[in-house]
Amino acid sequence: MIESFTLASDLSGYLPISLIVLMAIAFGIGNVVISQMLGPRRAGAVKGQSYESGMNAVGTARKRFNVRFYLIAMVFLVFDIEIIFLYPWATTFPNLAPQSDESLLWLLRILFFLFTTVVAYVYGFRKGVFKFD
Amino acid sequence: MSGRLAFLYPEIALFVATCVVMVLGLSRTLKARKASAWVAGLGLVAAGVLAMASTPRMGQASCPISGFVYHDGLTPAMGQVVLAEMVPYVKVMIAGIGLLLLLTMAGTVDREDEARIAAGQAVFDPLRSNRAEFYAFVLFSLTGLMLTASADDLIWLFLALELTSLPTYIMVAISTARNRSREAAVKYFFLGALGAAIFLYGFALMYGGTGHTNLNAIAQHFREHGVSTLSMAGVLLAVFGLCFKIAAVPMHFYTPDVYEGAAPQVSGFLAFVPKTAGFVALLLIVGAVGWEYAGHSAGVTSLFAGDGMEPVKHAAGGRQLPELLRLTLWVIAALTMTVGNVLALLQSSVKRVLAYSSIAHSGYMLVGLIAGPVGSTFTTNGVSAILFYLAAYGVMNTGAFAVLAALERGRDAEGHVGEAESFDDLRGLCASRPMLGWVLVVCSLSLLGLPPLLGFFGKLPLFSVGIAAGEIPLVIVLGLNSAIAAYYYLRLAFTPLLDAKDEGSAAIQAAPFKGRAVAAALSAAGVLVLSLAGGWLMTKAAHAGAYYPSAPVKAESAPISDEPAPLPNDVHE
Repeated sequence: MIESFTLASDLSGYLPISLIVLMAIAFGIGNVVISQMLGPRRAGAVKGQSYESGMNAVGTARKRFNVRFYLIAMVFLVFDIEIIFLYPWATTFPNLAPQSDESLLWLLRILFFLFTTVVAYVYGFRKGVFKFD
Repeated sequence: MSGRLAFLYPEIALFVATCVVMVLGLSRTLKARKASAWVAGLGLVAAGVLAMASTPRMGQASCPISGFVYHDGLTPAMGQVVLAEMVPYVKVMIAGIGLLLLLTMAGTVDREDEARIAAGQAVFDPLRSNRAEFYAFVLFSLTGLMLTASADDLIWLFLALELTSLPTYIMVAISTARNRSREAAVKYFFLGALGAAIFLYGFALMYGGTGHTNLNAIAQHFREHGVSTLSMAGVLLAVFGLCFKIAAVPMHFYTPDVYEGAAPQVSGFLAFVPKTAGFVALLLIVGAVGWEYAGHSAGVTSLFAGDGMEPVKHAAGGRQLPELLRLTLWVIAALTMTVGNVLALLQSSVKRVLAYSSIAHSGYMLVGLIAGPVGSTFTTNGVSAILFYLAAYGVMNTGAFAVLAALERGRDAEGHVGEAESFDDLRGLCASRPMLGWVLVVCSLSLLGLPPLLGFFGKLPLFSVGIAAGEIPLVIVLGLNSAIAAYYYLRLAFTPLLDAKDEGSAAIQAAPFKGRAVAAALSAAGVLVLSLAGGWLMTKAAHAGAYYPSAPVKAESAPISDEPAPLPNDVHE
């Protein structure tokens, strides 16, 4: 039953994917098991540090930092998305016939998209994201 | 191209209104902030008018607003055509019930902050204010819902469903200041993400099985090559994932907790918006599969035709879904009705009762999905029955939740405003606040489906299409469940008529927001008007349910049909 299933159906195309999944799982489990078997275990004060061979840890990990960084990261995303969409548009736009209806439509589309990002920017501005006091 | 854009005028109007609301809601003056709700309402009205005027229809010569002339009526290049007439109906319905829901939203967020600002104890801080976001999320969600209706592509459908759902997670979280809402939102978000992952996987398998993401092309592929096992797995996964949106049985667990944790007006929003999105998406997916397959005969072995791996082909004169899909939906429908109704019997919180009843109503509507368009009249077309029931359920359910939203208890120890929640809170409502009390009576009797009211006219076609499609056992389950539902709906309807308990309902007072009471009154008026003179809506629904299974087969005018479908097998051989 199972053999006829793999041969007769269009699922057979998924064989390489399932092989890769199996390999990924085996790789993950194998590494953990091997390091458990082979790795030396020596405890000590230096071993217990957060960065064993790096900087000495300073202070506690539960430190408060300004939530504004998160807001700035969110506003950055707006520009990020804008670039992602503008770039393919800019490379395709010259291929359209100049002054045709289609190129006008494409221009209007990207202007609409820019309008949405401007709204996001205005929203952030009014929300007070850019007030640094 | 501009013809296709005409489909989206309503969504664009809503989106522009959303942009205005987002900016206006952050104004320093209270008047401008309050205007954001009006702008939202205006956007919905504009969207409704545009949907009526501008959505292209099958066989229509030109679009009334853009003036664009269709030579050939609607074609696959312009939008989904399997259920093309559904699009304007659903959009106008969304705009109308969206207006009712918007009225109930008055004063949901920022109540304490606005009171402090009005008393001069605080200054307006845009970073703390939630009003702009809240109304913007309402509009975003409704925009997503409209986009779901006009989807002609699996990718579009997925994005529209996500746009419908993502704002609702946040709306639940910020609807009250209590931790219960946040818990509900987290639960809702994670289960929602699970549901989205499942139906996305289903969409991916459908693409894998047919080589198309366009629903018209998928419908045509199924028509010509049958439904392969891989595609069937995709369709079933999509159905299971969408069960989350409609709160049907394998994915219904979140419903009571989320509805209880959110503010009542947001629960009313959740009961209509994601459910409509789910049913519209289900209609599109199942409509692409089609209802023209051969009947069942030999039990389990006929689930897969032939040796088990042959595609399920269309049959001449066949009038049902592929047996496996039919059986799955059958079990989901029967369980959803029964679980929803039986568990609703055990609840003491009114919001939980309404949540379980919302599960049950999804089960009722699934009967229409299983039956499908048997005939073309209102009483024989399952698609029309679902579309009418969605509108009816939206009106009466909004009324019930609006009554709960219009009532509140005094403040608790932490200073949060309490909600009217238990049945005892509602005792004596008809004497103390006659308007709200009678709205609740009318809406719960209508939800029960008592004959002269709207709910009855919604349920009747579900029975008749079930019988027309030969699903007699399912119709019997539907009838039994309607009887079970009578117990808790009658309890809900008669509680406002009882005498008030001394201490219980004394603490209940009216919420200081007129919009909620107005929404309740309008909903009850809508129920009564549609009960007495709902014939036009039935005509519209019957028209909207028109199903065009063979429309995509148009070799010269449909460019998508020219390409051969690349099957996964071809790649590897």
